[in-house]
Amino acid sequence: MKTVYPLLLILVLAAGFSACTEDSNPQFDKKAFTKVFDNNKFDASNFPIDMRQTPDGGYLILGGRTLTDSDFVGIYLMKADENGNFVKEIEVESTAVHPIGHFSEYQTKYYFLCMDPLSQQAKIASVDANLEGVTMVDVQGGLTYPAAASFVDNNFVVVGYNNGDKLTTISIVSPDGGVLSQKGFSIGTGEDIEQPIINHYIRTGRQFPFEAGKAPNGLYYFNGFYNYTFSLVFTNMNADDPSGVVQGQQDDGGFSAVLPLSGNKFASARFNYGENFLLPNKDLSGSSITSSTDLGGYSLPELVANAKVRILRATINTKDILIYGSDTKSKQIGLLFYDGSTGEFIGSRYLGFSNPYEIASITQTLDGGLAVCGTTQLAGRFPRICIIKISKEELEGDASK
Amino acid sequence: MIQRIQLLIFCLVVVVAAHGQEKKKRIPNAYHKKKQEKKDDEKFLEKQWWLGFKAGANLSNIRVDKTYSVVSPTNYDASSIAKKGYNNFDLWGSQATIEISFYFKRFLLSFQPTYQHIQFQYSNKFEWNGSTEQATNHVELSYKQLQKVDYAIFPLIVKYDVSGHRLRPYVQAGIYSAMRLSANKEVSASGIDNAAGGNNQFHTETVSVGAGDLFAKYHWGVMGGVGVNYNLGNHVRLNLDVMYKYGMSNITSTEHRYSSDRLAGVGDAMDDMKLDNLFISLGCLFPLRFLQSTLQTLDK
Repeated sequence: MKTVYPLLLILVLAAGFSACTEDSNPQFDKKAFTKVFDNNKFDASNFPIDMRQTPDGGYLILGGRTLTDSDFVGIYLMKADENGNFVKEIEVESTAVHPIGHFSEYQTKYYFLCMDPLSQQAKIASVDANLEGVTMVDVQGGLTYPAAASFVDNNFVVVGYNNGDKLTTISIVSPDGGVLSQKGFSIGTGEDIEQPIINHYIRTGRQFPFEAGKAPNGLYYFNGFYNYTFSLVFTNMNADDPSGVVQGQQDDGGFSAVLPLSGNKFASARFNYGENFLLPNKDLSGSSITSSTDLGGYSLPELVANAKVRILRATINTKDILIYGSDTKSKQIGLLFYDGSTGEFIGSRYLGFSNPYEIASITQTLDGGLAVCGTTQLAGRFPRICIIKISKEELEGDASK
Repeated sequence: MIQRIQLLIFCLVVVVAAHGQEKKKRIPNAYHKKKQEKKDDEKFLEKQWWLGFKAGANLSNIRVDKTYSVVSPTNYDASSIAKKGYNNFDLWGSQATIEISFYFKRFLLSFQPTYQHIQFQYSNKFEWNGSTEQATNHVELSYKQLQKVDYAIFPLIVKYDVSGHRLRPYVQAGIYSAMRLSANKEVSASGIDNAAGGNNQFHTETVSVGAGDLFAKYHWGVMGGVGVNYNLGNHVRLNLDVMYKYGMSNITSTEHRYSSDRLAGVGDAMDDMKLDNLFISLGCLFPLRFLQSTLQTLDK
């Protein structure tokens, strides 16, 4: 009988050992991951524009693709599941081109704007969460060359370009394509001022950080060309002249991102002759003419020249946090965390190593984590869309340093 | 390699030292001597504690439960980039063990804390091809990923002495818990680039990355094996031990699978896997009861 005791002891220990091991846990698979979506075609070239998480936990990515039959980029849409695995993709025919963000959710559908390649008339495209198909609606009216859009009060606020009259336009467009209101503001005269805009649209030149939206003070705004400079322009959509302008330095200075916080407060970032400055909590006057160079800001020498900047306002562990995402000179995606109410710096995190990474979009996920969509270069040469998911616990750690 | 040689030298020194303690006695009568020895053995072995030291080499075998990858293909089958060629039973590791055993009527209950160093390797391959008009645009990229992991193993084993007097074969079975101490990964890449105008074969420098977080802190398994003890004459035993460890739990940290940006950058994520090991050890066992400082047992 005594010889049985060791065997019993072993069984008890086995139960104990198995209790403190790590078995596969599907929850961990979706909490944090890095995924790179590869196409084995040598010349495949897709790039992300914006990303949204769908109610099933998956991810919808709006992207662009190179077309052989158009000067503009085509539309690429991709769905990944909650673990970041590829589900499906749609390469939209070249009858619609130049997709722009934001990718906006409204009544179970996801909307973005694009345009006709021949007339440059804006179109509203929508897809469902499962990416079953793309629906297109023509915008009725003279909205051409859409550059950026946001979804406010159930309508789109769109900044576009009227190349006939050399105007930057701001339009309020309903989801069914009706133009509810529109104002145009002169970019100035001469080919020199138009050339960078055209190069932006056909992606042969610098990509400008166009933005459009509505501030909490009721004014609409766009970040675009006005009066020879890349400026942040406020309008009440009634007067022919802007309510206020924060001027840039021709196309060498201006805002690289703006996010309204409250009243006249904005979280923003600006560029000036290659330098980058972050302004996590700054009053921007919507009723006067000022200059962005007077705004100061935190200088970020680690960012690439005139860096692309994304700002996300998130609630992390009940705290109001501003997350700035941008591209660093070391080819990583830098995330900088600031207190949303005070603008105080909290911490930073850098994503990616070995291969270059560039940011496209950041979004807070349903589980309280953070998903960053960007581009990486597989084998150092093939640009591919990637998603980096950070768990809620990691994010809380980053936002509480 | 140097560690392994040192361990073997240590074992040999212990064996030689132990053997040197054996006293040559005059044999008045062979029959009576043998009878007396057997009687002494029975008394000696009725209940006995043993302390042992052993060291040796091991080979690893990986059993994959679920494959993971950073790269998610959009237009080809994911299996084509899955990790292939887990080089099972290919790369030698090493181990050193302290054995504490209690003998009772041919059974031994043995606790054998072990320091174990294991190695295993896998590879994966990516390929990009040009369209028909650009058929020469072809790039291949292969990664070799070598894992080096150190564990503290805590086995509890039951042994049964099958028979014998001086040469005592035994069978054994038990369980173990393993605690990861450290881990490193070495990644090397090579490839062929036909797009550059010729057959450009390239190799990258090996990158070594600390990978402790990628492995589970604890795993467990069962083990079984055979061995033989050779009584050197003074009850000090030379021990040859062969053991197969069969992993029962995942050795990958599921929580930190993607936590290494360096490895994610080369498209690597650890699979869910279980680890088996074939151990071969050589060592010495010393009786703790009836033992003089000269290693001579008191009952002799």
